[in-house]
Amino acid sequence: MKDTGTTETTITVHDVVMIGAGPAALSAAIYTTREDVETMLFERGVVGGLAAVTDWIDNYPGFPKGIAGLEFAEDLRQQAERFGANIELGEVTKIVDEGKYKKLETTSGDIYAKAVLIATGSDYKKIGVPGEQEYYARGVHYCATCDGAFYRDKHLVVVGGGNSAVQEAMFLTRFASSIDLLVRSDHMRASDVLQKELLEKHKDKIKVHLNTTTDEIAGEDGKVTKVIGTDKTTGEKVTFPTDGVFVFVGLSPNTEFLQSSDIELDEIGLVTSDASLQTSMPGVYVAGDVRSGATMQIATATGEGATAALHIREYLEGHKRTHGEEV
Amino acid sequence: MPKNVTIFTTNTCGYCVMVKKYLGIKGVSYEEVNLDQNPERQAEAMAISGVTTVPVTVITKNDDSKEVVVGYNLAKLAPAVA
Repeated sequence: MKDTGTTETTITVHDVVMIGAGPAALSAAIYTTREDVETMLFERGVVGGLAAVTDWIDNYPGFPKGIAGLEFAEDLRQQAERFGANIELGEVTKIVDEGKYKKLETTSGDIYAKAVLIATGSDYKKIGVPGEQEYYARGVHYCATCDGAFYRDKHLVVVGGGNSAVQEAMFLTRFASSIDLLVRSDHMRASDVLQKELLEKHKDKIKVHLNTTTDEIAGEDGKVTKVIGTDKTTGEKVTFPTDGVFVFVGLSPNTEFLQSSDIELDEIGLVTSDASLQTSMPGVYVAGDVRSGATMQIATATGEGATAALHIREYLEGHKRTHGEEV
Repeated sequence: MPKNVTIFTTNTCGYCVMVKKYLGIKGVSYEEVNLDQNPERQAEAMAISGVTTVPVTVITKNDDSKEVVVGYNLAKLAPAVA
């Protein structure tokens, strides 16, 4: 809608702008657009978020045989766009509360919204060891579905013991001849189902090393040749010759852009919210992996997206009463 | 508008989908080299980009100079195909 505000400058004000276009935002958009709330999504990375770069999704309800992450993301996108969601490719760098509206500073100029949903999700964490940055994309990777094909009949190291590490290691067996899976703790955090599948179907290719830290990624002539770690049970250094390393050691929230915004974050950088998923800035909501307290599942992200959308609708009704505008 | 654009991709790469989507929005035609279907061209992709990742987008400008964009990097891709 157009709003002339109190100045002579005419600005376009969106009903709601969603930052991110992963499962949380796309689900929210399905709900808002079906309520005839004009909805724009701003995505700096992949539409579908981490789900889109995940090989296979087996725990999302309604898909008894599972579904490829990329296919799931594409279906969600189509569903949101079917009802009128407008997905823009670009990056939001700051949110400013200007009272009646929120100003969003973006890489393609300022935009305005009555309500905002932060659904920027998270990215895979770095380990922070020597060699990791030096060999990034030259032997050190964070996306198996993107880069696994470069390692046909090669040996790999996968770092991590959670669901992502185990699932992506199993995916990488399509290409790699053998994989050393380095797990820092004395047990894997991956679900029992995944661990069982690992043992039953992939034990010939994947060797699990519990209690093993990853201390350094080393190479020669610009190529990764080995990972040096420590066996915590003996305290001795261990070396794993390898052609490449894939890292899946947890998630880091995408909230750098909020550092200069007046929105409260918790001690690890996740966005705090109240029971209605509203952040410390009125009219700005949060859903999905980026929310403090989120359980980091696709199923919960979509649920939070729907919940946030319903509260946003309520907020916009109040906005209409306060400011006497159409919603 | 560039003279031609080639994208090296794989079947399962979400970032490759985004590069193709962006070029589609901008009306830029491209040739796609799928490395799952053409594994013999992996070495070519690595030689051009210096990395073992996709997408790799090679933009040939009208003066025949080339620009290589690794990954889905809008900050580099957008001006390169403008």
